Amino acid sequence: MRTHLRIARSAARTLVHAAPIAVLALAAPACERARYIETGSPEGIISVGEVDMQDILRASSGMLESLIETGVLKTAKNKPAELVIDQVVNDTSSRFSVDELTYRMREQLVNSGQAAVVTTYGQTPEDKTAQDLLRRQAFLKGERASQMPDPDFSLSGKITQVKRTAGDTKQVSYTFRLTLTNIRTGLESWTKTVSMTKVGNKPAVGF
Amino acid sequence: MSLARTVATTLARAAAIAASALAVSCGSVNTTYTRDRPADTAVDARTRVNDLLQQIFLSAKEVRMFRNSQGVMEVQVDVENNGFSYRSFSYLFDWVDARGNFIPSQLSVWKTTNVPDGGSTVIRAIAPNDQAADFRLQIRRSD
Repeated sequence: MRTHLRIARSAARTLVHAAPIAVLALAAPACERARYIETGSPEGIISVGEVDMQDILRASSGMLESLIETGVLKTAKNKPAELVIDQVVNDTSSRFSVDELTYRMREQLVNSGQAAVVTTYGQTPEDKTAQDLLRRQAFLKGERASQMPDPDFSLSGKITQVKRTAGDTKQVSYTFRLTLTNIRTGLESWTKTVSMTKVGNKPAVGF
Repeated sequence: MSLARTVATTLARAAAIAASALAVSCGSVNTTYTRDRPADTAVDARTRVNDLLQQIFLSAKEVRMFRNSQGVMEVQVDVENNGFSYRSFSYLFDWVDARGNFIPSQLSVWKTTNVPDGGSTVIRAIAPNDQAADFRLQIRRSD
């Protein structure tokens, strides 16, 4: 009888010690090891109040599809069409570089021979050194300013957001809009908006 | 006895109506088509590896591939949701040239879309250049 009591007491003590450990183990957050995923993959983190990489890639793809689909670049005087990249304003509360968008578009258009980006144009050129060298060469050859690059289009745009909340649930719509202006006429030749809406109350990892 | 049978029948009917009301969620839509045969630009599409679309009660009703007015290749896939719940899925179009070689481009990115139960959507893609002759579509669940 005494032995039985001792065993029961020992078992109870073990349970008392084991229970908090089990509770802690269950309550501990699942540990996820760092790993590489494809950029823009649906497996990536989806955040409600931020522009994610998936959003930028989707926007650049949508813009490129529209540019190619409409054939606006083929209407340019220069072959391939010469573009100047103007300001693309990030008017959202999410902090990211708009270059993520424009450089992807440039890569596709320039490397496929559908457009050429002029990096030596205007008062604030993207490549000041190249512009200076070009001007120097033109001066030494006795050429006039008309020999400088003569772009067809200027690309500008804006990224905006609309936020709404219902209880704990947040909804954010991001709209990427780009415009191609014909520099010779000053008229808008192409424009496109790509929108995406995310709803939820906290960031999540996609799958 | 007959009263008990009537009550049982009424209860059974009520249960059936309630079950169907639950099965068709409030987001379900009705879809109407006027076309009863494939479009002229419809192409035969093969699904390899596994048919994820069918696993999540989605079906590719028609796949169309054509050159648009600018001479650029375009593909459109009609996706229908035959299930009883709202579905989200991601898709990626890759383009290949006439010899079957993959054309890398910034246009090939994963995009996500939703289809309500009973509804349909059109997923489409534009070829990155004139060399594109065919496409490959990958689909994955995202809900």
